[in-house]
Amino acid sequence: MTEKTFAQAMFDALSISMEQDPTISVFGASSFVLGRGLPPADEKAFIAKYTTRLLDPPVSENVLASVGVGSATAGLRPFINFGTSSFAFEAHNQIVNEAGNARYMSGGQLKVPLVYHMFHGIRGIGGAQHSQSPQSMYANCPGLEVVLPATPADAKGLMRTAIRSDNPTLFITHTKLLATKGEVPDGDYAIPFAKGEVKRAGKDVTIVAMSLMVLEALKAADQLKALGIDAEVVDPRTVVPFDAKVVIDSVKKTGRLVILEEASLVCSVASEIAAIVAEQAFEALKGPIIRVGRPHVPMPYSPSLEAFCTPDAAKLVDAVRKLLKK
Amino acid sequence: MPEIVSREARLSLLERMLLMRRFEEAVIHAAAKHKYIGRNHLYIGHEGTGAAVMAQLKPGDLAHTTHRNHGHIVGRGADPGRALAEIMGREGGLCGGRGGTWHMTDTSVGFQSTSAMVGGSIGLATGGGFACKQLGQGNVSVALFGDGVLDEGISYEAFNFASQYSLPILFMCENNEKPGRRETSMLAADRLLDIPKALKIHTMTVDGGDVEAVHAAVGEALARIRKDQVPVFIESQIEAWPGSHQHKPEFTTGETDISMAWDTGKITGPHADWIRQEPILRYVRKLLAEKAAAQADIEALDKKVQAKMAKARDFAEASPFPQAEGAILGAFA
Repeated sequence: MTEKTFAQAMFDALSISMEQDPTISVFGASSFVLGRGLPPADEKAFIAKYTTRLLDPPVSENVLASVGVGSATAGLRPFINFGTSSFAFEAHNQIVNEAGNARYMSGGQLKVPLVYHMFHGIRGIGGAQHSQSPQSMYANCPGLEVVLPATPADAKGLMRTAIRSDNPTLFITHTKLLATKGEVPDGDYAIPFAKGEVKRAGKDVTIVAMSLMVLEALKAADQLKALGIDAEVVDPRTVVPFDAKVVIDSVKKTGRLVILEEASLVCSVASEIAAIVAEQAFEALKGPIIRVGRPHVPMPYSPSLEAFCTPDAAKLVDAVRKLLKK
Repeated sequence: MPEIVSREARLSLLERMLLMRRFEEAVIHAAAKHKYIGRNHLYIGHEGTGAAVMAQLKPGDLAHTTHRNHGHIVGRGADPGRALAEIMGREGGLCGGRGGTWHMTDTSVGFQSTSAMVGGSIGLATGGGFACKQLGQGNVSVALFGDGVLDEGISYEAFNFASQYSLPILFMCENNEKPGRRETSMLAADRLLDIPKALKIHTMTVDGGDVEAVHAAVGEALARIRKDQVPVFIESQIEAWPGSHQHKPEFTTGETDISMAWDTGKITGPHADWIRQEPILRYVRKLLAEKAAAQADIEALDKKVQAKMAKARDFAEASPFPQAEGAILGAFA
């Protein structure tokens, strides 16, 4: 184990992958993890080693996403970084209509082993167009895997799986996580999809969160403990495929469910999790399922307005106290 | 320019064109018989272009096509029975009935994909070109598309990307714009070629009704693409088939009677002008005039193709619809 930043952990996963597999090319590496606090010597060596496999493409998300599909079906494993997730909206047709559908509509003849990476979330004065959390939009489209890591260790292990997956994978990371630190296992390892993790054990209430919201949930759990509430924090880690079992097992233990989501709650991942639990574990519930997320408005710019719209530990604590009447 | 000289190669080109034509006729008949939709975009009248391209692709080359794809698929060598079965939504179809007319793929002959999104093939083929370059096997990627694609923003992005990274791609535009009707492309530029040319892509234009002219242009383009690892754009100008309509084709010109090539008195009716210059009859006339073939050779070739299509039809008709429960499988590897 070594303490590393989230950015360093993703870089390590990418380096190991590129070393092992010459068919991996990275589009948009410079806005991915490079220049984000990596040791300069590592970064320099990486760039020098892969001159023909690191591309800094034109600002053309539409064709870039399509190049991903066309080259993946032809035998490469492209890794495409869009930067901010809003930019990927320029390529929505290619991601949904081409990448997601290719395998099914070819009757299984094509495989599409590609990763689309993008940064999501409220980053601070990003305004409406740089604060998007599009995970549920992609989860709604068949054929796409959706991954939302929360810790450096998860980021490395999940990225190894994403790059080796034969399906198009949306690897969505939060801008604010890049500089966070955590213990990361040394060497090569992979974390399978659809395998969630209990980040903190508890018995009174289940809190489900992903990405940056896991960190907020853990903060909230500490505050709740002082109030005599023992919260369990569950991180499913991947939206598609989804580990329903880790959530349901926890709800069966605690009898209460609060879901923290950074996106608007309308047709959100939180809504889907609520539906799954209501359908499959209704009898285990001692109270209503509560969702905490951003209101259904474009993200405002002004810090005071933005703070009001941002889901965080404080709002989660309020919701849990209300549910438990404490 | 590389020219076709051998009699064998010329007849093979004609056979490819005839297969495309007879295939579409079978599609029209099957659609009428089974009353299904999804037969909107037929390849009739385009055969000179598709045959010239498909005849010159090598194993490992990648093809990406558009909604007007039937001719391309069977022209590249996909089994016509399985292609027809796919259009009819049958289990024996190329994609097991999951794709249909708009999404046919046959990777066994290097036919990567059909995208029914306007501009779909052009981006995917750019990815194919990137893969050809990275893998270094000397293969090329081909995008087949209509003139309407140049209205889409992705064409600009794709040309720029292909040019910047010097990718081995043939951009094959089948321009079937019909004078007097709503244009299928609306460009402020004077000509389609102005767009790729502005991005430093070598461009060519050719009469799509003359299969040997297309063959020569494509041959030259492919040689250049393979040698210099650059994209080339060809505009093939095609006289649109009068049966082609936005929502449903009409069999206005009827089944092709190959003897009209030499018995021109048979050509009558409102579409006589189109029939007189359509690419198959035109090529037959040329072969006869240059004594590359006799009438009997042509008739025998047509019979051979018709027999092949009869078998294909039987296969497709006999193929069952897919088991319904299978619908939920196959979205993920």
